[in-house]
Amino acid sequence: MQSIIHVEKLTKRYRKTEKAAVNNISFDVHPGEFFAFLGPNGAGKTTTISILTTTLAKTSGNVTIAGYDINTQAKEVRQNVGIIFQNPSLDLHLSAEENIRLHVNLYGVYAYKPLFRLMPQEYQNQVLEMADYMGLREDLFKPLKTFSGGMRRKLEIIRGLMHKPKVLFLDEPSQGLDAVSRRDLWSYLRKVSKTQKTTIFLSTHYIEEAENADRVCIVNRGQIVFLGTPAEMKNRLMEKYLLLDADNRSDLCSQLEPFKPETTEDGKFKVCFEQQTPQQILSQIKTPLSLMELHMPTLEEAYMNLIENNTEETAI
Amino acid sequence: MLPLQKELNATIVIAAREVLRFFKDWKTSLAFSFMFPVLFLGILGGSIAQNLGAGLGYNYLQFAFLGMVAATIAMNTMMSVTSLVEDRENDFTQEIFVAPISRYSIILGKIIGGSITSILQLFAFVLVALVMGIPVGLPAIGWILLLAPIICISGGTLGVLVASIFSSSPKTADKGVIMFVFAQMFLSGALIPVKNSSGVLGALAHAMPMTYLIDLLRGLVYQGTPFYGQIIMYNPLLDLLIVAAISIASFVIGTFLFVRSERNR
Repeated sequence: MQSIIHVEKLTKRYRKTEKAAVNNISFDVHPGEFFAFLGPNGAGKTTTISILTTTLAKTSGNVTIAGYDINTQAKEVRQNVGIIFQNPSLDLHLSAEENIRLHVNLYGVYAYKPLFRLMPQEYQNQVLEMADYMGLREDLFKPLKTFSGGMRRKLEIIRGLMHKPKVLFLDEPSQGLDAVSRRDLWSYLRKVSKTQKTTIFLSTHYIEEAENADRVCIVNRGQIVFLGTPAEMKNRLMEKYLLLDADNRSDLCSQLEPFKPETTEDGKFKVCFEQQTPQQILSQIKTPLSLMELHMPTLEEAYMNLIENNTEETAI
Repeated sequence: MLPLQKELNATIVIAAREVLRFFKDWKTSLAFSFMFPVLFLGILGGSIAQNLGAGLGYNYLQFAFLGMVAATIAMNTMMSVTSLVEDRENDFTQEIFVAPISRYSIILGKIIGGSITSILQLFAFVLVALVMGIPVGLPAIGWILLLAPIICISGGTLGVLVASIFSSSPKTADKGVIMFVFAQMFLSGALIPVKNSSGVLGALAHAMPMTYLIDLLRGLVYQGTPFYGQIIMYNPLLDLLIVAAISIASFVIGTFLFVRSERNR
């Protein structure tokens, strides 16, 4: 499959700094994919997005977006991407619709007209339809100053999609939003990703936002430390195990023999399960148990594990 | 849309946004439009006229009015362009920079938009002058309106150069721009005559691009009057040539440096 985003050995070193903000990273994103770019603050996420969206020059490496080179075909790249910035980029002096209109004019989708009603019918229908979809129809012509943080983010999504980009970049879009607004935002984005077949490139440091992504790319100190599906991340990095104990430990030990248990420092038995289910293991035990704990890794644990154990050598 | 049509459309949109913002925020715009003439012409100019103006041999307030009109509309346009640097990472400017349009179209749009709003503010100046009883006269207003686009474009191109200087440090841009504006305001002869300045002050006055813009406007308004030789530094044609040279150089060098520094952070 042809990649919609192709990044090869990308490096960015800011002036007057010795360490690279982004250090020799390579990855591909496929069309229609929901790609999460995850990392702690200062990992190089915003730098990478800025380079991919052509607002920052790279130090070295090759990057193509929708088949266009970011260096030599920057305008074509910009035409094919939509961006939701970390800091809101709306004009608060204007109404929601005026912000959308300026966007389509800047992208050359429609010629400038000073009033909504003077714009082509196609534009009017598209705006009203998307505003309906995002629940902003009632507020479309109200000044932006009256909008909540969540409403502004929704408006930025409408605006970012108006020129029908192939890739929508979201740079920590839920920063500063409350839990309800964040949940709504993700529900809208999933809808958009499915209905418009837009590739979503999400940069975030909230691990739960990456849970529904098709693939996760974790960066730390400018390097990629993991690239794969959320399930792969959990499976590869964290053990699933049962922690068992009984008053009669010798009996329990003999019954667990086929499962090759490990013994913890305090004498409990740790039984990893990859092939079997916990129920299959438990059904083999006749000894009354004094402890039974099921340990299933969460994405957050896997992420923390990756970040805490990340050294130069572990980067991929 | 054809590529050239697209760039033109983008320039119009950016300019239209400046004008739209001016009218949307009309209370602030109106307050700022009157603040400058009242402060500099009414209070500062009035005070100088009462205490020092009598010995000049010409109407000081008329002299100051012409200087302040040129300086204010040029500076307003300049600040409209330098705002590209100040709020690059905080508001709609980000959206403009990622649009598939040339940086030249962005800068041109800012200059045109800033020029239109500056010219609108010009009416506040004339109104304050009339209220103060300054003998403005129709020919002077005619020259101001005729030269206003040149003054604005010159201020805008100067803004591009200033923006390029501060583009690597947006946090200091606002302070830098204010320092630059005040240096222009006080050293270019807008309020205080500089024709007879010598030494460092004379050199600084001649180094200020605004000096030639103001001298150009006054040269046209005062031509044929007995005060011409007392006030005017250069022939208006020479002023115009110097202004054109500074504007072209500022636009070309400024845009080149701005575009380069904007990506090579």
